[in-house]
Amino acid sequence: MIQKTIFFLLLYAVISSCHSRKGKLAQADLDVIDSLELAANLQVSEEAIDEIIQSVSSPVEMAALIKEIGTPFSMDYLATTDYVDRYNTSSQMAFSLGIFGADLGYLNIYKNNVQIVDYLMAINQLANGIRVGHFFDFVRLNQLATSREGIDSLMYISVSSFNNIDSYLRENNRGHLSALMITGVWIECLYLATRVASETSNPLLNERIGEQKLNLHNLLLILNPYKDQKPIADLLTQLDEVKEVFDQVEITYEIGVPETVEKNGMVMILQNEKSIVKLTDEQLQKIINKTEEVRNKLIAI
Amino acid sequence: MIRILVLIIFGFLFVFTGRFLQAQSPTDLVEQCANEASENATYLKDFVVKLAEAKPGSKHPIARYPLILSKNNVYRFSVCTTEQSEGKAVIRLYDSNHLIFSSYDEDTQEEFNPFNFLCRKTGIYHVFISFIDGKPGEAVGILSYVTK
Repeated sequence: MIQKTIFFLLLYAVISSCHSRKGKLAQADLDVIDSLELAANLQVSEEAIDEIIQSVSSPVEMAALIKEIGTPFSMDYLATTDYVDRYNTSSQMAFSLGIFGADLGYLNIYKNNVQIVDYLMAINQLANGIRVGHFFDFVRLNQLATSREGIDSLMYISVSSFNNIDSYLRENNRGHLSALMITGVWIECLYLATRVASETSNPLLNERIGEQKLNLHNLLLILNPYKDQKPIADLLTQLDEVKEVFDQVEITYEIGVPETVEKNGMVMILQNEKSIVKLTDEQLQKIINKTEEVRNKLIAI
Repeated sequence: MIRILVLIIFGFLFVFTGRFLQAQSPTDLVEQCANEASENATYLKDFVVKLAEAKPGSKHPIARYPLILSKNNVYRFSVCTTEQSEGKAVIRLYDSNHLIFSSYDEDTQEEFNPFNFLCRKTGIYHVFISFIDGKPGEAVGILSYVTK
């Protein structure tokens, strides 16, 4: 009898120990009160919206280009963290999370450890505001930010945390916040690029700015299903003004066959099909002006 | 009595080691795979994949991810398969419906993982991840930006 009892107790212990490790999201609190009501019927399929959101470029790429063309670092380009406390709706927080996420990418690329901590704190506050703070290990991030050797890990954790937030919001019926965050990232990246372009003439940067026509098109698709909500409707109005200036940009393509070479012991595929952006100085100046106007309006409280 | 003691000892071993001997999940693999790909490259995105075995007579399961790639950037594509995966992962890059490159050459059975891609046309591309011979598996694909 005693043996049987012990046997069943041990069996219970074995079974209860054989659990798969749940991701840290499994117990996350999903009860979030948002300032937005979700649209009852999305006109674009959620799968299509997911695909578009997934495809949007990382802010690291624009920041890397800005650095590669020799632009010195400047805090003047970045949004101030002084007014984070005033963002008190989920839409403001999600959008601002995107803005500061883009700025964090810029700081990471320039390895500016000192300012990174300020932006991490702002991001922490905003992320907690929309209940995605658990994606950031801020203790670890702060440690890495204050360590010269930790900058690469900091970059990785920053980028992957934002990627995870985006996935989480979409998977948990909060895609409108994901769309706002992505839009914040994009507008801030465009602003950074246009600020640099207004001070330095560089064909690579100008071409990259002109290509944002494609990203903008996708952003409008992502946001449009939520246009019944006032904050997003207001955002769309602003972005439509940006779209008007980008409509004049012409992008053409030349066909070519890719080549495969070996470089530094690794296979590299050289694409010979090319995109060509036709952007006049006048068009560029309009984009610069409109981007500054819209971005400053959107981050103002 | 001895049998009881043996049972108790084995029971404790199962209880405590069970908590440490976790199968490697794809999520665990992301950071490791990103670090492996990071020589002169900065992590951009990851693609976590879990696919079942292909049914007889059916196409091999594929996970597909869209991307926007920008002109003049060099991107690195790499894939890491989990230790317990039966199948070995393959990552392919497509432009519209055209295959640009695959990390596995089916004819020669050569692997090219990771591979770099010099993009000259900004636009939408697709990453496909599948497993050789349609076997089941778990893997992580990594997209990195190669710094100049």
